[in-house]
Amino acid sequence: MSYEKRIDRLREIVMALDGEGLPLDSALKLFEEGIEILRLASDELTTAEGRVQLLIERAEGVFETRDIDG
Amino acid sequence: MRPGVEFDLFASGSAPAFVAPASPGSSPETAIQVASLTETARAVIEGSLPPLWVRGEVSDFKRHRNGHWYFCLRDAAAQVRCVVWSRSQRGIPTAPDEGMEVTAFGQLTVYAARGEMHLNVSALDAVGDGLWRKAMEETRLRLDRDGLLAPGRKRALPAAPTRVGIVTSPDGAALRDVISVIQRRAPHVSLIVSAATVQGANAPAEIVAAIQRICRFGAIDVLIVGRGGGGREDLWAFNDEAVARAIADATVPVISGVGHEIDITIADLVADHRAATPSAAAEAAVPMRTDLLAKLRVLGNELSISLQHCAASARHDLESGALALRRAASLDAERRRYEISAAAGRLNALSPLATLARGYAVARDAKDRRTLSAVEDFHPGELFTLTLRDGDVMARVAELS
Repeated sequence: MSYEKRIDRLREIVMALDGEGLPLDSALKLFEEGIEILRLASDELTTAEGRVQLLIERAEGVFETRDIDG
Repeated sequence: MRPGVEFDLFASGSAPAFVAPASPGSSPETAIQVASLTETARAVIEGSLPPLWVRGEVSDFKRHRNGHWYFCLRDAAAQVRCVVWSRSQRGIPTAPDEGMEVTAFGQLTVYAARGEMHLNVSALDAVGDGLWRKAMEETRLRLDRDGLLAPGRKRALPAAPTRVGIVTSPDGAALRDVISVIQRRAPHVSLIVSAATVQGANAPAEIVAAIQRICRFGAIDVLIVGRGGGGREDLWAFNDEAVARAIADATVPVISGVGHEIDITIADLVADHRAATPSAAAEAAVPMRTDLLAKLRVLGNELSISLQHCAASARHDLESGALALRRAASLDAERRRYEISAAAGRLNALSPLATLARGYAVARDAKDRRTLSAVEDFHPGELFTLTLRDGDVMARVAELS
């Protein structure tokens, strides 16, 4: 799931929790999902190392990326 | 003077006086061919005049079927024929208008077939960049007609891209700038470079190919197209119509970052977001990581608060439910107590225990404790149970009577 999709899902969860009449066990499940998404999103920001890569097309539709010196 | 030219038609004074008696054209007997004359004139003119810039007004402009342009350059006193071969038109933004004041760079020469002198033009511009502006305006109009400049076409940039594409020269200043901005602002973001020459005759085709290539590759959230600063000709590829259309067709939002603050190109008009420089394009592409982390913390807080609300509302429901239950239970209690004591009385009267207490016994199957109440339920030698007032005894059938 892309970072943005994760954030969208997180907002959905907050909205659902804010809604009326959600059974407590569903609320807990949503909350746990939300916490997991937060963890993944935060990992993506803090542990992922950005790379600089050159895109090469070997043949029509056959791609290769090669690290270049950043 | 070009070597090999033996006589000079343009020498001052009366020509024959300077011509040796035996030289061609000095007498009716040695008259030269027309072609020799025009060829000599051509050699003299080309040899003595280097390519020059000439200023004048355009008239009689004609675009020939074969692609060449013909026109006259004139001022109040004189005119010169001009030709722009189709292969020379590459460096010229667009054809001049009739009456436009231009400067043309070219070699003066002689066109033998007509015996005419003409200027072989290789560069042309209207006074005050007019031709460049005209070319841009023509392109802009065509794109506008196709709806490519409509504000409604502009796509929003992604809030938090993790992969940014860039179409530029792999060894240009633009790439270095973009890399350093991204590493400073958002070191978690990857940059995918789709290389293109960004100036010269091949630049438009290469830029188009690079945009299409990275769109086919996919896996990027946003695309930067640009190059560092340079002269007007250096940036010209970004005014190319095919480049503009490739930007419009890109599968992800495009940020243009061409040249310096003041340079506005056709690419800027078509892009979803115009940045003044490649660095500014990178800043527009990636939000600061610290801002993203702050937003995550806010979302995390919202999540906890929402859950607390949920829990509070569930507790409230539970408490009001319990209260209602207690109330209902106490109203019920009296009736139940009465029913229970009545039932207990009846139960006692009917209980087999009372019967047993009076000295009766019940015979039951030893295995399934089924009541054995008739002779046919018994078989000689079989074990059975006798239940008495205070417990069971095992018994065996001796005989059936």
